[in-house]
Amino acid sequence: MSAGVKFAIIGFSFAMLVVSLLIGLWAKRKVKSAKEYFGSTGLFGPVSVGLSSTAAVASAFALVGVPGILYSTGNAMNFWMLSSAAFAMAYIILGKKVRAMSEIGQVASLGDISDLRFNNNKLIKGLMSVIIFLGCIAYLAAQIKAGSELFNNLLGWSPIVTGLIIFGILTIYTAISGEVGGLLTQAFQGFVMVVAGIIIIASFFIITGGFENVLEVVANAGTVTSGDISKTFGPGFLDAWGILPKSTAMAWVIIPILGTVGQPQVLTRMYALKDPKDMPKLGLYAGLAHMIVGFFALVVAYGALYLVGSGEIAPLAVADNAIFAYADYLGLYAQLFVYAAVLAAAMSSASMFLTLSGNIIARDLPSAFGKDFKTEEKQMQVAKITIFAIGILSILFSLTSAEMVAILGTFGWGTLMSGTFPVFIIGLLWKRANSKGVIAGLGLSLVLNVASLLGMTWPGALPWYVNVITISILATVFVSLFTKEDINDEKVELVLDL
Amino acid sequence: MDIQGKRTPIIIAIALLWAAITVLGWYEMYMPGLFLGVILMFLHMVLGVSIKNKVSKKFLIYPLLPWAVIWAVSFYLSDIHSKMFAGVMPDFTILGFHPSFSWTVILYWIGGVLTLTLGFVALKDEWLSEKDWEEFKGKVQKIDERQKGGQQS
Repeated sequence: MSAGVKFAIIGFSFAMLVVSLLIGLWAKRKVKSAKEYFGSTGLFGPVSVGLSSTAAVASAFALVGVPGILYSTGNAMNFWMLSSAAFAMAYIILGKKVRAMSEIGQVASLGDISDLRFNNNKLIKGLMSVIIFLGCIAYLAAQIKAGSELFNNLLGWSPIVTGLIIFGILTIYTAISGEVGGLLTQAFQGFVMVVAGIIIIASFFIITGGFENVLEVVANAGTVTSGDISKTFGPGFLDAWGILPKSTAMAWVIIPILGTVGQPQVLTRMYALKDPKDMPKLGLYAGLAHMIVGFFALVVAYGALYLVGSGEIAPLAVADNAIFAYADYLGLYAQLFVYAAVLAAAMSSASMFLTLSGNIIARDLPSAFGKDFKTEEKQMQVAKITIFAIGILSILFSLTSAEMVAILGTFGWGTLMSGTFPVFIIGLLWKRANSKGVIAGLGLSLVLNVASLLGMTWPGALPWYVNVITISILATVFVSLFTKEDINDEKVELVLDL
Repeated sequence: MDIQGKRTPIIIAIALLWAAITVLGWYEMYMPGLFLGVILMFLHMVLGVSIKNKVSKKFLIYPLLPWAVIWAVSFYLSDIHSKMFAGVMPDFTILGFHPSFSWTVILYWIGGVLTLTLGFVALKDEWLSEKDWEEFKGKVQKIDERQKGGQQS
């Protein structure tokens, strides 16, 4: 790559960083209360919330890791990337109830909804906060690592320096403007991802001539070797299930689709929406943006397979480089947008998980232990310091503890599901869900997530978190069923009837 | 459709479906697992759509039922074509895709959005109407006023 191209990529990516910073600083003016700082509650319309939801859901893993998995194992992962109907499903299931909770009490975090639903049960709030915090820190560390390594690979810069510049700026604007700045910058970053997606999708058809050519190359290429690296292709690669065990494909249908409703980055956006009747439009905008981003990942993987199979580029030493190898082949315009899109994906998810972690440490966990702040100003002040501290510590941690980040990387989507399903999905869809059931579900979830992290094995080829989610749901439902019913607050009853 | 009294059985069914799907996954029985997965999602949405335990028939007829059928057919056709062309280059394509994967694109992806996402927009009042929302807010306000009055007296 020439020095000019590198300079252009840096300029383009840093322009995006500066715009994000300016949006974050501007957004500070909209923050007038803790409810706005922590939750953006009832502040935004469906376009900005939809773009920000897509950006927060589609992390750097979606643009870098997914094409790598598709390149290595074929189509199974496409069930995950083409799960665009999941937003509508999530809002149909829970949208009005989560939004309605913000009408019956102060809601600025997921812990607040837990308090309202389960009569301020501190143990539920504490357990849920710890599980969500584990998932958030795992995501945050992975985003920082991906974003920093992007520029380390490209320019040879030290990951620490790159991480401190990019994610240091992100930490500053997130701490200053909270969720308001977070949501607006994510909407902008989501827009960058959509534009990049449109450009790369169009270029895919120009380069390959269409999907039929890719299928023909992949089915007939056999084994391609360059130096020590070989890539074996086959006809089964591009059928619906790919070459992984088919139960993995099954899990990659159910977990992303149903799991979207259990992601904090989706749940918190339900109460950020100004008018709950706009929820269907939110589903449409988020779904359309996700369609482009999902197809973006698909064509990148298909493009890389086509180029390797047809001998245009050498087999990839690292599958995760599929997106960069493809962009480098396409040339400057693709490189500009691909690198910016990957950075946007990393930054949007990082800011989301930074505010979520900050909220948990500065707001939900102290409250679970009985510590409440005297004024909203004091609470926001503590949160700003906390977000700043978590941001800096996460940068240092993710760039100096590669092994731990890799282990934590197994936490994420499934862990977050197992932490939210008992409280929100079962809790808001079923009046009979009681605190004992939810505590049992969350307690088992926490223990089994940690046990899986420490090496506990599960039967079959399913991803381990499917087992944990199932056990957590079974415990919540059956313990609730066989223990005494809680008396729900009458306003909560109104929400549950909605 | 009234689901008064059926909510608890539906939640128990949801829990048992999770268990069944997981066990089917252990034994590589992915097709029954996928079909049960569609039922699992359908039941969640039935509970989500209901207002005061009433589920809109219109919303059931479109988008929920067509969505469920489209996805079940998508998985079925994907598997049929996967087995039909196992280990060989397919002798035809659909939109340029492997026939097995084409159903993922046409029915699972685009069909899913056209039914759930557009159906949700088209029938938004069946999910939450202006009247439902205002009635809810009015009741909350009355409770607030009553509680405030109670505290003052």
